[in-house]
Amino acid sequence: MLSGQRNKLLCETGPGTPMGELLRRYWQPIAGVSEFERQDTKAVRVMGEDLVLYRDREGNYGLVDRHCPHRRADLAYGFTEDRGLRCNYHGWLFDHSGACLHQPFEETRHPEGTFKDKVRIKAYPVAAKAGLLWAYLGPQPAPLLPDWDRFYSRGYKQIAISEIPCNWFQCQENSIDPVHFEWLHSNWSMVLRGQDGPRAPAHTRLGFDEFDYGFVYRRVRADTTEDDELWTTGRVCLWPNCLYVGHFEWRVPIDDTSTLSIGWFIDDLPGDAPFEQRRIPCWHAPVRDEKTGRWIDTHVMNQDYIAWVGQGAIADRTLEHLGESDRGVIMLRKRMFDEMEAVAAGRDPLGTIRDPALNDRVYLPIVGGLNRPAPGAGPQPFVFLAGQPDEVRSEIEQAWQQCATASGAT
Amino acid sequence: MRHRVRRDLTVSPPPDAYELAEARGYGLTASDLRQWRPLSAIEIHWARKHGLSPGVARRWAREGVGILDAVRAVKLCIRPQQVRPWAAAGFLPGDAVEAAEAGMTLAEATAWRQAGFILPDAALLVRDGWTLDDATVARFAGVDRYAPAGR
Repeated sequence: MLSGQRNKLLCETGPGTPMGELLRRYWQPIAGVSEFERQDTKAVRVMGEDLVLYRDREGNYGLVDRHCPHRRADLAYGFTEDRGLRCNYHGWLFDHSGACLHQPFEETRHPEGTFKDKVRIKAYPVAAKAGLLWAYLGPQPAPLLPDWDRFYSRGYKQIAISEIPCNWFQCQENSIDPVHFEWLHSNWSMVLRGQDGPRAPAHTRLGFDEFDYGFVYRRVRADTTEDDELWTTGRVCLWPNCLYVGHFEWRVPIDDTSTLSIGWFIDDLPGDAPFEQRRIPCWHAPVRDEKTGRWIDTHVMNQDYIAWVGQGAIADRTLEHLGESDRGVIMLRKRMFDEMEAVAAGRDPLGTIRDPALNDRVYLPIVGGLNRPAPGAGPQPFVFLAGQPDEVRSEIEQAWQQCATASGAT
Repeated sequence: MRHRVRRDLTVSPPPDAYELAEARGYGLTASDLRQWRPLSAIEIHWARKHGLSPGVARRWAREGVGILDAVRAVKLCIRPQQVRPWAAAGFLPGDAVEAAEAGMTLAEATAWRQAGFILPDAALLVRDGWTLDDATVARFAGVDRYAPAGR
């Protein structure tokens, strides 16, 4: 149980809020690089700020205010030039630093004028890594964009994005809640399939550890012991708003009642022949069944979404009744409160990386090790999200065949 | 899933390749694993980061206190044997540390537990100024969002 005041602290992420200030100290993934193969601009909303993400013809990415500072036109309908984004209303041009480069009519009337030098637009840095576009909305100097070791694993990578109509923090609490897996993903899945057999192995013990980039949760189930990797290595609640279990799931606040779920996945491939992927596809995963209007319940993350959305647009933690399975959740909340205080005191919060020497393939614990042999005789079904496009599935099959052939496994 | 043999204080098989890779990830060597046995790589990492010696970390481990709580306990100048009454009362040994941070006695913690609060939940409420009576009412009636300051 939390007081309403504490709950607000966790949930509100707008500019100037304690949690908003904390989350703004980290690079946040907001889109896929491949989304900009077919479009130059994309309207985005991040932590309550309406922005436009664009790629100009020189290849610079920019993230600027949604509205032109001239007459507030929508820059999502602007057009890109060699350098910058031009408003479609009167042609004002801005670059990725927020500088105004051109005001056509003003400069015609006053060639010597300096009006454009006095006008700027809100702009945030954007960087591309691992097929994702990352934004930093905090104060300068920005920390380094983490260079996670998993980004370099051999395998077929894909990105899936969903919009979840609820607050981000109830999504992130799920990242340190081991017991939900037994019920939401195992037992409920059996019920959904009409199976009436024995229930999934029950959790018997939980453990939590901390490292430089988050928490590790560990579990023992009725069918495992403390010798298993689920206990010895565990899973990662990656600070501040991600789950890492071999794939990544970021929960980026769109605003206080909606969350961008960004999944970064990798399919292990057979053999050890070099495999190079030219582009990482990014697709949008539906959350509702169009026929029934109900939430999709067939895939792991969709089941998570049902739980999160079911908690309400903003979970009312004044009404909850926490138990032993919630020790990780309480630990996460406490650390969030501590780190909000650290930011308010002018300190760097947990997990920010500023030393380039430390930001080279940064290690994250992973059950099974980083370079795992591909299981089975072919690509595994994609169990995480409904709606994987046929072309992505086809590319995975081709990659599998290519690697199997190269290793003589066919 | 791989299956690892867990080491204890009486046996010392060398770490396998997987353990070594994990240790390297935490900036440790095989020698570190041996020196800190039976702690895991992540525990050694945390202990070293916070200045605990292998001996101190082991003493806490023998009491059933994980490394996170051991670090906090040392900062609070708690001695390992002080957690025993808590364990005997059915709390996790590490709960003694959580309670100490919140200024709760064993009797108080027991009362909160009897009212249905697990200790970390109770400790946070105590820090926020809640009394057990008020928290118990709120737990079952919903919390007044506009309660007096301090809640």
